[in-house]
Amino acid sequence: MSRGRAWALRLTGIAVFLLLWEVVGRIFGEALFAPRSAVRGRRAAMIGAGSLPMALAGAVQHMLVGYLLAVLVAIPVGIVVGRNAAVATAVEPILNAVYAIPPVALVPFFVIWFGLYFEARVALVFAMCFFEILINVLQGVRNIDRGLLDAARALEVTGLALYRKVVIPAASPFIFTGLRVGIGRAVNAMITAELFFSAVNLGQMLKNSSNAFDTASAFAIILAISLFGLACQEGMRFTERLVIPWHHGSEA
Amino acid sequence: MSRARAWALRLTGIAVFLLLWEVVGRIFGEALFAPFSAVIAGFPATVRDYKLFTELAGSFQQLVLGYLLGCAVGIVLGIMMGRSALLDGLLQPWVSMMFVTSIASLVPLFIITFGFGLAFRIAIVFMAAVWYVLLVTYHGARGVSPELLQTARAFEASRLQTFFKVLLPALYPYILAGMRIGLAHAIRAMVIAEMYVIVGFGGVVYNAGVEISTVSLIGALLTIMVVGVALTETLKWLGRKTAPWYDERLQLSN
Repeated sequence: MSRGRAWALRLTGIAVFLLLWEVVGRIFGEALFAPRSAVRGRRAAMIGAGSLPMALAGAVQHMLVGYLLAVLVAIPVGIVVGRNAAVATAVEPILNAVYAIPPVALVPFFVIWFGLYFEARVALVFAMCFFEILINVLQGVRNIDRGLLDAARALEVTGLALYRKVVIPAASPFIFTGLRVGIGRAVNAMITAELFFSAVNLGQMLKNSSNAFDTASAFAIILAISLFGLACQEGMRFTERLVIPWHHGSEA
Repeated sequence: MSRARAWALRLTGIAVFLLLWEVVGRIFGEALFAPFSAVIAGFPATVRDYKLFTELAGSFQQLVLGYLLGCAVGIVLGIMMGRSALLDGLLQPWVSMMFVTSIASLVPLFIITFGFGLAFRIAIVFMAAVWYVLLVTYHGARGVSPELLQTARAFEASRLQTFFKVLLPALYPYILAGMRIGLAHAIRAMVIAEMYVIVGFGGVVYNAGVEISTVSLIGALLTIMVVGVALTETLKWLGRKTAPWYDERLQLSN
């Protein structure tokens, strides 16, 4: 299929879906399921008044801090643990077990440890993307081609140089997958935190709109969060292509 | 590494973890982080006071409805999108959009649309499971060997026959993998929805969380962890047992 045709199809798909949404929305009414036209109006109003951009700017703060902390911890830990087969095997069951706990169930803990505000939100973001990144980095380091490591040893590449020149480049496709999946989870955690701790920013707006049966606003906020998440992931994909252009099979 | 050595290492890892937990727990105390021994000792009381197993069973009954619905829709749509360039093009933008949509952000809206009851919980679990099942099935469906389909055509199989007798069996391992990932997300979504409206198992977590002691809270978390791991491992085992040849092909989709 040509690129032009693919794009035409995508645009048609979007148009059909928007039309369907409008029809369903008109049938149910704004108190149950707002039609797209109402959502568009509300979104314009929220952007015009500055409330939506302000809330997003506030939300991005704990998201970025939590995500960066997770990246800074998960990548070195993943690389060091992944290089040691015995340690990697030993921690694997623990990782799987902790990963199976629904992150939102950790909220009561974070309330006890960090309170209801910024620190608690950062902690939830951290918890929700840390394991995702760690698991991918681990997998990447453990899957490095043995031949590559043998060649490095034959050439007497050791110490930091081994990591800088062999391990990290070889594992980078997986590291980037972890970063991409992780940032998606971070956006997810960003709004989860604002709903489950003290309601602020986007979470507060979402709660208020829900209490007022204002589904148009709720849709507008949800769409803004989803678009932001999509943009973050695509941004990461773009960075990946810039940094490791030799790797193309990153559609996992 | 031999199997025995790997198992010895895993058991050591678990033992070290439990020991560490015990030490940290004793240092911080029950109010902050209950030690392992206290959680185990308090577990019968947790089960009794919070009707833990009854609530969990009730939650899973509701989860199953939304989850199976999500699997059915995800499998059918995934196959259709994987086999038809037209549907793929039409639906792709929306699937990508829904895929990144945070389940938590949908909760306040869905409460308005569906109320606080069964429909709400089914809808949330459905939304959490369906896109993962769809995506994995879709990737599988795109890779189905053309020879299989040509053979079906040569034998004049109808579209329905091709679907049920050729495509579904060929995709079976992918479907199982998709269902496994979908299940993990369904459980997360269930807890999100239930903690928000404080019912079922999520309600137990919420109520245990506001207690002074963390014994019940950790007990509840351990329970959902064990159930989650057990269900995931069962689906993994089923995949290995019924289609061992596909094991490595599914590595990419964790």
